[in-house]
Amino acid sequence: MDEKPTTPTTDEQLSFWDEHRFMVLIIGTLIISVVMVSISIFVYKVSGTAQLDLSRPGLTSVSDKVDRTSTVTDYSAFGPVNKQTVGEFTAIYEKQANRAKAVDAFNGDPLNPEVLEFGDPTTLTD
Amino acid sequence: MKKRVLLAVIAVVTAASFSIAGFQNSSAADLTPEQESRIQSNCTSIKGSLNQLHASDALLRVNRGQIYESLGTKLMSSFNSRLSNNSLDNKGLVAVTNSYQTALATFRNDYQSYEQQLSAAIRIDCTKNASGFRDALESARTKRATVRADIVRLNQYIDDYRSAVNDFMLNFERVTGKNS
Repeated sequence: MDEKPTTPTTDEQLSFWDEHRFMVLIIGTLIISVVMVSISIFVYKVSGTAQLDLSRPGLTSVSDKVDRTSTVTDYSAFGPVNKQTVGEFTAIYEKQANRAKAVDAFNGDPLNPEVLEFGDPTTLTD
Repeated sequence: MKKRVLLAVIAVVTAASFSIAGFQNSSAADLTPEQESRIQSNCTSIKGSLNQLHASDALLRVNRGQIYESLGTKLMSSFNSRLSNNSLDNKGLVAVTNSYQTALATFRNDYQSYEQQLSAAIRIDCTKNASGFRDALESARTKRATVRADIVRLNQYIDDYRSAVNDFMLNFERVTGKNS
């Protein structure tokens, strides 16, 4: 009956974790953030996403030239197959195929030493 | 016996080190002093050209890439599915589509490899390391030619698919004509 409620006294010894738990929380958060960012950058570089990112330094000059207007018409996977529907598909396909081949992509040899003007003059051909 | 083994090991190690040194020398020897000085004096303008090429190729990759991707997923695969849903024979078309998708994956990987190589070449200081710069450029040049070959292959598959659709249509008309 005479028991008194126990209150913590200033003399009570706190464990290491109790004493530093806020600092541990901050450091833990930072470590997790660094790990997550590292994984993200790794995936960004390895997956080929970096090659499609035109906001990278040096590529911003062409980022506004991305073709955003022309979208390929989706052909439905459901529906009848007859001369008319195949004809419709052929027309859409033909249009996109011509678009794909309209530009002779990656042609030429712009990395040729002669083009970059440091080639050996003795190897120049007419 | 041990002596023989030891001698053989020494001979192999010596031969290997000579061949490595020879390879390194041949790489550096290909660059004439004239070329080296030309690289060093034109370094800024060469870097400018490479940066322009890097940007224009990146744009080409994005614009061409999205057309090639959508051709495969939105048209070829959808049409194959429609034929399949109608219980029609689409084996020929599926075969071409699979080859096209494989070629597209190869293009993605080859372009990535080329872009990384070109970026590496751009990062090299050509006033200090002309030989390394030239070697990096030569590698990028080879990789760009591979990307070009991938594009030619993709265009060929696009034509092949069109032919396969025409063949399918001829067969389809013949069969439905007979049935009716």
